[in-house]
Amino acid sequence: MNQPIGDYSKRPFWYYNIDGVGELGMGFMLLGFGLLIWLQLHTPTDAVWHRMYATLLYVGLMCAIIHYGSKAIKQRITYPRTGFVEYTKRDKVWRPMILGALASGAISIALAVALRSQWDVKTLASLFMGLVFGASYARGLARTVRWKWAVVVAIAVATLAIATLPADLVESVVNGSRVTGKVPQVVAGVFLIWFLFYGAVLLISGGISFCLYLRRTQPPAREA
Amino acid sequence: MNPQARSLAELDRVIHEPGRLIIVSLLSAIAKADFVYLQHETGMNKGTLSSHLSRLEAEGYIEIVKTFRGKVPQTLLHLTGAGRKAFERYRRKLKEAL
Repeated sequence: MNQPIGDYSKRPFWYYNIDGVGELGMGFMLLGFGLLIWLQLHTPTDAVWHRMYATLLYVGLMCAIIHYGSKAIKQRITYPRTGFVEYTKRDKVWRPMILGALASGAISIALAVALRSQWDVKTLASLFMGLVFGASYARGLARTVRWKWAVVVAIAVATLAIATLPADLVESVVNGSRVTGKVPQVVAGVFLIWFLFYGAVLLISGGISFCLYLRRTQPPAREA
Repeated sequence: MNPQARSLAELDRVIHEPGRLIIVSLLSAIAKADFVYLQHETGMNKGTLSSHLSRLEAEGYIEIVKTFRGKVPQTLLHLTGAGRKAFERYRRKLKEAL
């Protein structure tokens, strides 16, 4: 009980990911989108993955798995062990939507400026994505759990590694793509690599958090 | 009496107690929570937590609803409008006093 009182009003937000479910959901979504983009880039144009209904079905299924999977874990494991919290609509809906819109706007503007100025877009895109993912992980997740700072360091190292990858190697990830007409292949390649890498990082980090949560908390006692 | 001392004297005594201040701070950030969550976050035992909650309920600052999650009883709590106003007023007065 010896914390500043301001911390107590922030604790409910940190509580959402106490079991790692937030990270697992986000990691699953990023890997899912990465896989969809990969399939669209590496299958013939008449393949089912290029049809609108297949994309919608895939995204719908992915969202349903994330939504109902998270709900099931929360209801069966988290709520009985450490309690139930319902967030306000402002925090659950509006804040993520506004943050998402601002982030995508910032990425679009940065990309447009970099392309117009003939900068080294591969390095810039890598550093920018690393900064966005690293900062969001540090602010949202690592602040509350000390071991997660190791993940922030791993993201920083990966940022430099991806930035120094040869351009032709990065381009080969999306080679022959039909979605790279406006966006240079090297930028699309950087985005796809980051989606897959950060998705995997979140899945691993969320998995570790979930295991630690199960070890550190006790299931409620069953009545005889 | 100087303004700082007056602000201190006007602090809401119900919220000012450390245990209840933690409970109100936690509830102020969310729509609702259950008893197990408050117990986990505050580290209080059931008796102490119940007595603080009863005091806050008597003052009209929180509402307590007994319900079931499946077959398991669940006690849901949320800050009332009066509770939110009182907490905001408390924060303002404390800031003025400090």
